[in-house]
Amino acid sequence: MANLRVAVDVGGTFTDICVLDEASGSVSVAKVPSTPDPIDGVLLGVAEAGVDLRDVVLFSHGTTVATNALITRNLPDAAMVTTRGFRDIIEIRRGTKDDLWDAYKDVAPPYIRRRDRLEVNERIGYSGEILETLDEDDARRVSRILARRGVSAVAVCFINSYANPVHEQRMKEILQEELPDVAVSTSSEVLPEIFEHERFSTTVANAVLSPLVTGYTQRLSDRLAESGYRGDLLLLHSGGGVMTPRAVEQLAVRLAASGIAAGAIAARHLATLCGFDNAIGLDMGGTSTDISLVYGGELRVTKEWFVEYGYPIMFPSVEVLTIGAGGGSLAWIDEVGALRNGPQSAGADPGPACYGRGNEQPTNTDANLVLGRLGEDLIGGAMSLDREAAERAVASAIAEPLGLGLDEAAQATIKVANANMADAVRLISIRRGYDPREFALAVFGGAGALHGSALARDLAIPTVLVPPNPGITSALGCLLVDVRHDLSTMFLAEADTVDPAEVEGEFAKLEDEARERLAQEGVSPDQMSIQRFLDMRYLGQWRSMSVRAESPLDIPAAAARFHDEHEREHNYRRDDAPVEIYRVTVHAVGVTPKPELARYERSGARPEPISLRSVHFEEEDARVETPIYTRSDIPAGAVLEGPAVIEQLDSTVLIPPGVEAEIDDWLNIRMTISGEA
Amino acid sequence: MASKQESAERGYTLDPVTFEVLKNSFTTIVDEMAEQILRTCHSFVIYARDFSSALCDPNGDTIMQGSGDIAVHVGTLHTTCKSIIEAFEGDMHPGDVYAMNDPYLGGTHFSDVRIVRPIFHDDAVIAYSLSNGHWADVGGRIPGSFDISAKEHFGEGLRITPVRIVDKGRYLADLVTMIVSNTRAPAAAEGDLHAQIEATRIAEQEVLRLVDKYGRDTVITSFSEVQDYVEQLTRQRIGRLPDGTWETEDYIDYDPSGGEGLIPIKVKMTINGDAVHYDLSGSHSIVGSFLNSAYGTTFSGVIAGTKTFFPDVPLNSGFYRAVTVDMGPPGTVVNAEWPVAVTGFCSGPYEKIMNSIFELWSQIVPERAMSCSFNLEYLLVGGRDGRSPGRTFFMWYDWMVGGWGGRHDRDGSNATSPIFGVGLAVQPLEGQERLTPVVTSTHEIRPDSGGPGEYRGGCGVQKGGTLTEAESTVISYLCDRSRSITFGTRGGLPSLPHGVWLNPGTEDERFLGAVFSGLDIGPGDFFTRPSAGGGGLGDPLDRDPAAVLEDVIDGYVTVDRARKDYGVIVEAVDPDVNEYALHEDATEQERAQARSVRLERLAEPPEGVAERYRNGQLDVLDLVRHYGVILDWGSGELLPQTTETFRAMLARRAVAYW
Repeated sequence: MANLRVAVDVGGTFTDICVLDEASGSVSVAKVPSTPDPIDGVLLGVAEAGVDLRDVVLFSHGTTVATNALITRNLPDAAMVTTRGFRDIIEIRRGTKDDLWDAYKDVAPPYIRRRDRLEVNERIGYSGEILETLDEDDARRVSRILARRGVSAVAVCFINSYANPVHEQRMKEILQEELPDVAVSTSSEVLPEIFEHERFSTTVANAVLSPLVTGYTQRLSDRLAESGYRGDLLLLHSGGGVMTPRAVEQLAVRLAASGIAAGAIAARHLATLCGFDNAIGLDMGGTSTDISLVYGGELRVTKEWFVEYGYPIMFPSVEVLTIGAGGGSLAWIDEVGALRNGPQSAGADPGPACYGRGNEQPTNTDANLVLGRLGEDLIGGAMSLDREAAERAVASAIAEPLGLGLDEAAQATIKVANANMADAVRLISIRRGYDPREFALAVFGGAGALHGSALARDLAIPTVLVPPNPGITSALGCLLVDVRHDLSTMFLAEADTVDPAEVEGEFAKLEDEARERLAQEGVSPDQMSIQRFLDMRYLGQWRSMSVRAESPLDIPAAAARFHDEHEREHNYRRDDAPVEIYRVTVHAVGVTPKPELARYERSGARPEPISLRSVHFEEEDARVETPIYTRSDIPAGAVLEGPAVIEQLDSTVLIPPGVEAEIDDWLNIRMTISGEA
Repeated sequence: MASKQESAERGYTLDPVTFEVLKNSFTTIVDEMAEQILRTCHSFVIYARDFSSALCDPNGDTIMQGSGDIAVHVGTLHTTCKSIIEAFEGDMHPGDVYAMNDPYLGGTHFSDVRIVRPIFHDDAVIAYSLSNGHWADVGGRIPGSFDISAKEHFGEGLRITPVRIVDKGRYLADLVTMIVSNTRAPAAAEGDLHAQIEATRIAEQEVLRLVDKYGRDTVITSFSEVQDYVEQLTRQRIGRLPDGTWETEDYIDYDPSGGEGLIPIKVKMTINGDAVHYDLSGSHSIVGSFLNSAYGTTFSGVIAGTKTFFPDVPLNSGFYRAVTVDMGPPGTVVNAEWPVAVTGFCSGPYEKIMNSIFELWSQIVPERAMSCSFNLEYLLVGGRDGRSPGRTFFMWYDWMVGGWGGRHDRDGSNATSPIFGVGLAVQPLEGQERLTPVVTSTHEIRPDSGGPGEYRGGCGVQKGGTLTEAESTVISYLCDRSRSITFGTRGGLPSLPHGVWLNPGTEDERFLGAVFSGLDIGPGDFFTRPSAGGGGLGDPLDRDPAAVLEDVIDGYVTVDRARKDYGVIVEAVDPDVNEYALHEDATEQERAQARSVRLERLAEPPEGVAERYRNGQLDVLDLVRHYGVILDWGSGELLPQTTETFRAMLARRAVAYW
């Protein structure tokens, strides 16, 4: 019997499957269209990949179910119970707008309407003291109203509950007595941290997602079990680890960026496999590009993110910068004659002009087709692109108005698109004190490998990595992950004067809880790994930075790390300024054993091109007869000198003149970029 | 139209790709500066996004301003840069950094400290980077450096004329110590200074990278072409609009040095071909408080107001070539000169100018129309914290969101940051309660605060607090529109008056008004105030009754005011399950009745109306919305001149459309 690991990622258009055979280390993939009930697509995909679920030892899953529910507001009837006088905290938010100048662009409304936000008499002070005792009659009255309304989830959000959860807990008990089948999320359980809007917002998101996500994971677990899978369904959460359906019941909101995190994890996986500690992930699809950053083998995570502007979800989430630049982004000339690129996109439908589905505006894909970088027939004949339509679009919208030749116009289009992406990479790397020259660029998505080498040259990144299946990024990301929980607690004290025993005590409490959670998820003690972090800042600063702490604790060493990190990220340090501890955090990991990926033998065979095509290269400022290869023909160990193009089912790899591409033992393509163009 | 032809024909020398790439790089640079500031600042005001960043050319003109910058700094950064150039020209060196906060040199107010770094290449300045941030305190008589009663700037806070703070790379610690020692929180001030200096260095690094890559000439050419681009874009948009002249006026509540009576600010706008020109002459002379504006902030108000109707045009000095302003003679509230106190411009003339400009453009571009939005307000409670052993200084420095005006086809936005700075974030009360001995009473939307209209103004909020363990504590309020109430347009009605109430509902109840400074309060005192909603747009009696019903269910409008303001009869059947009934026949009757009496009400002798207010027959919303009568809301005393002007305003903005 085979031992298989299966990872399934459900996206808006496709459901991707990645299968790893633990015995041989070989990876196979499949792709099927997503279905109205995503679970059907999951099982179809599993069948398409030829997997018998009885052979599966580990099934992991990334899903956009939670993200989509928040965006479309396809949410269950939910209510909020809060301290009297504060039911509008989640509507007032911090007051700001995403669009500063357009008075007709509003922030989205809260996830729970004002009419469903009820108040009770109670008040906790900043230090946790009870200023006004919870009025139990009031609490019961509100609970009965909610029972009459038939809500399916309730968020309990009291002021200062992070300092003393007693009222929220009592309110929860009363709600559970009156509404026994309803999911109750309290803010002190979901996120015991200061700042009411951020805590309430996270709790409300958790509450509205809870019935939906719990139901989804339950149904999927049942369907998998029916087909013979005997293990736990593992769900990829925003922080880059997985959790079981039992944990999801408590913290549904952690799945809010599940699908987005997967792509970043794939970048880390590819970089680590290829021996790079530092990498920038670039996942370029049809309408947007996701950029992520791996440093020292770890993905950057952030606590400041949201699905919709104004409604923060304050759980650590893999940091991904998404920009509106993709293959379908439109090239256009503005009123004053400047050449622009995106953010408007032709999307997948109607898609680029060359799809022939009604869009006549040129896109980046059209420009790549005009330049010969994309072929007219995609391999397998699944789709053919209309080169003449692409040329017409580029000619009429770009070349003629600017007085450029066709190739020049297409090249200009690509250059602007690349520059926008390079700016975004700068924001996430150089701006944070990372030097791109020490990084590899890991490219994914249908279009990533077409643009990767030019971007790398612009940013002085020496190496570009292309995995064997660039279009199956997220499923790959789900494949090799650990169970992971992030726990934290507020702890304000000056690093110089704090009693280390007190901090040690806070860590111990979190670590106990972390071990308990891992144990509930079936992780045995020898597989548990717990890392400590202290969030620190210069006294008086508003933002903090997370630095690693040791066990047993060495606060001066952590403070020294903080000074170094501050200098690396912000260019300066203040050694004489007092450092404040802001938060105590632990990352609890249940390590899943990782099988070795299969290495392929270097046959020494030279791949033969399937054809020659005239391709325009910026480096030559001219067209060059370029050999075209099929990815599956190229064995490990092969070396190709640019110019060359490698085509495969879901992607095209462009190797410009002067670039050398080597196929490694895992069939990744590694391009070495030398010097400035 | 000559200028239009000229600009349209001005050719670009850069190829379109290089131009677009450099233009976008400049946006990235100023946004990188912003990111750095947010991550390292100490001032909670800066952290709430009261800051801005700019890249300027060697003349001091802005090439690009941060995309998330606060509106109120718009149009003031180039004047700062030019002041620095004037002060240091001929004596600038690589590694220098300068500072200033002088409102009389085109700055905003003393709290906004501006840091400027010349960017050198081969011994010549090729650009400047500028970081402007609102420090929490810059000294002076009142914590937070907002002294409402100031008539001259002396004593308001530290005035920093252009000074060198880094000399060829050497940090001038003695001078910096002198500056920060004049603030109430020297360590935080120096922390912010560091953050700002480093932000300007980031811009320097990036500009030099671009010079390396594209060559110095190309980059310098792009500096001016990016400005030309914005100018052309703006001119093309304006050129498509009809020529003409439009004018309006808005009001500050009163002049503390004079009697009662609204203080007019006049705005006349002329579109001629592809340029727009504003004329503010005729505005009232300076007032005896710090609610005056110097030329820099007046210009900013005009630019920010206009920019709202060109939301996608990037901001740089090119915009200022197509949009010009005549401030009128010196000595007015919109053109005050040294040493007149101008720190409160932001609650005074600034938003009056912006809302006037909104009103004018709403006529020209009706699909982007918006009625008046709530006025910026700051409440400051400062003293000694009795909870701390050292009785440390505390400052509860609070500003609120409010409602924005009703719009062409939709209601105004509820509970939104002021138009003065849409990125300005309100503070979390849990943070405030840790740091100050004030327990927040409520922070909630105020029902009925949205100005009635076919499209309702957005709702304002109510926030207050109780002082607990504190000593030597004073309260100050910087606001306006207690009398010149947030107005509706095209038949829409006003919101409600601003103003702070002390100990409401007790024997010690006092109305403190919308501008006051340094009043003593003690433990146990409770203060609260509303922020206004936006003004309504269109006749409220034409509002879809179903929309009123939804508002009642959500509690944005009460059953009582649904009848009074909208003539809509809603019955609360079973509010526990959100069951309300809309009575359509009764609504028709009520609306017919309202139409028949509303003109008479606005002509009723005001003293009789005031009397009915004092004896409880009418409330404040009845007075401002249906009788057009303005009182001193504390004493109930009629303000006859104010009422006369207010009624004339209603006739112009509401009655004319009924």
